[in-house]
Amino acid sequence: MDHNTYIPKLAKIIEIKDEVGGARAIKTFRTQFLEDNGFAHQCGQCAMLSVLGKGEVMISISSSPLLKEYLQFSILKMGRVTSALHEMQIGDIIGIRGPYGNSFPIEKWKGKNLIFIGGGIGLAPLWSVLNTALGKKKDYGNLTLFYGARTSGDIVFKQELDELKNQMTVHLSIDVEEPEWEEYVGFVPLNVLDKKPSPKNAIAITCGPPIMIKFVIQNLQALGFKDDQIFTTVENKMKCGIGKCGRCNIGLHYVCKDGPVYSWAELKNLPQEY
Amino acid sequence: MDKILLKKALPQWVKKLQAYRIYAPTKDEDIWTYEVVNTPEDIDLEFLTTALSPKKIIFPQREVYFEFEKPDVDNPDIKETLPEDDPTIVLGVRPCDAKALTLTDLVFGGDFKDVYYWKRRNQTYLVGLACHTPPSPNCFCLSVDGSPHSKEGLDILLTDLGDKYYVESLTKNGDKLLNLAKNLFKLPSAANKKEYQKIQAESEKNLKRQITNLKKVPPKLKGMWDSPFWDDEAMSCLRCGICTYMCPTCHCFDINDEVLSSTPLKGKRIRTWDTCQFPDFTMHSSGHNPRPDKASRLRQRIMHKFQYFVETYKNYQCTGCGRCITKCPVSIDIIEVLEKVRDYGS
Repeated sequence: MDHNTYIPKLAKIIEIKDEVGGARAIKTFRTQFLEDNGFAHQCGQCAMLSVLGKGEVMISISSSPLLKEYLQFSILKMGRVTSALHEMQIGDIIGIRGPYGNSFPIEKWKGKNLIFIGGGIGLAPLWSVLNTALGKKKDYGNLTLFYGARTSGDIVFKQELDELKNQMTVHLSIDVEEPEWEEYVGFVPLNVLDKKPSPKNAIAITCGPPIMIKFVIQNLQALGFKDDQIFTTVENKMKCGIGKCGRCNIGLHYVCKDGPVYSWAELKNLPQEY
Repeated sequence: MDKILLKKALPQWVKKLQAYRIYAPTKDEDIWTYEVVNTPEDIDLEFLTTALSPKKIIFPQREVYFEFEKPDVDNPDIKETLPEDDPTIVLGVRPCDAKALTLTDLVFGGDFKDVYYWKRRNQTYLVGLACHTPPSPNCFCLSVDGSPHSKEGLDILLTDLGDKYYVESLTKNGDKLLNLAKNLFKLPSAANKKEYQKIQAESEKNLKRQITNLKKVPPKLKGMWDSPFWDDEAMSCLRCGICTYMCPTCHCFDINDEVLSSTPLKGKRIRTWDTCQFPDFTMHSSGHNPRPDKASRLRQRIMHKFQYFVETYKNYQCTGCGRCITKCPVSIDIIEVLEKVRDYGS
């Protein structure tokens, strides 16, 4: 009998970090499987998380595949399952199945400058590829991160971002001015236009709210980035994770299986169905 | 190995098949449905199109993936609930519905095999019944690469010759089912063969509906994403979803948890049929919906069946059974929609 992909593997929550409070709360969870099961993901892949009795939700794996000790998920409290996850405590058990989807082609990016552009919770899908590039820094050129949130209180991975500044160029931004804020004020796409990263031998990877992604891509194109130098991730409502339940498709692509990672050269030819 | 089975000997054959669970069309008032039959008398092979296709036997409307339990102190326990060993025969499968299963096979196969589907599929044998007169006024199998006497997906094909069936075994499993009652099956005479061929030819002519040049539709659809056509066609849609619920090829589903007890937690994870015609099918938890209106959902249904599926699996995801046309409460007719697509802009 073939492997039954619908059965989740049990994992323990070993660490919970409050990233952002309030109505759009974000928490980061680290989990360890109760039993070793050979789960091995690549940068950009997702996992279907279960809270038994509540259901499942597809979440991007934010830890690097280089890290073997735990899987990390940063989760915005939004629907039934993510709200239940936000109620959970260290030691609680969740289910995980996957990994699902394609991944960032980081092997092809060796020797290139990588520019990460994230907004809000959109830093989570970038986090695994960013940390993998950092872990193999000599394989890549310059690493740059643009990251913005609505307010300084909405910024995720605050401590990690401070440490990151010693290892790569980091451009932070918030949407509206705050008294103590010393970095850029304005939307992420404008910060990109302001700092003018060079398209030469570069790859830009962006993730965030759809409207941000749209303008980031426009501005990258204005700076001379070609469509195949721009990568993003797409999300849609998912249930099965394996291209059968029929709801996450963009045209003939199932985002769960054929995505979530797309170059703009690919995505621009698909219908706007996300 | 072609054979002849007298109609009056059919009950004897069915009795020899009793080691299997047998599904067959049964009639209740004016509706035929596939039910488990306990005696040959319950079987009605003079049936018109059944309410649902035999898809429901392989891919039931509700499937329990697993049961879960979380005792107060211990870790949760998950118990996989695969379908039981229950070798099954479906007797009286229309060629269009058999072909439909070869299409759901493509979906539930591939890189990730759906073990629930295949557990049932691999122990289900299909005995087909060719159509002489179309079982529905909206049958159009010939237009979608099928035929009233297609053998695709079947283990045995029966053709009604009046007081007897012309019996064709098409697979090893078909041979096995015939061998259980060897003495009932005679060799066909030359006259039987001639009659069989005549009925096949007639059955194609008896079809009332067709769409010509369907092959023009898939490439045409590629350029119709933003067309106002979809708004016009979907205007009368009530979003009831009956078109997909009745469809033998539709496979979309939902997965949910059913809680039987909250303390201690006890429940089931279940799969149920779902439909692209419902607004919440694609709605994100944020409220954003990539397919926010009836037009985008009708477009999805047509695009999926006649463009995406064709590109991915080299088949139309439609077998011309006509159920969606007959059952639509506002008479949205897929043949008419496809004809308009075919002729769009020309």
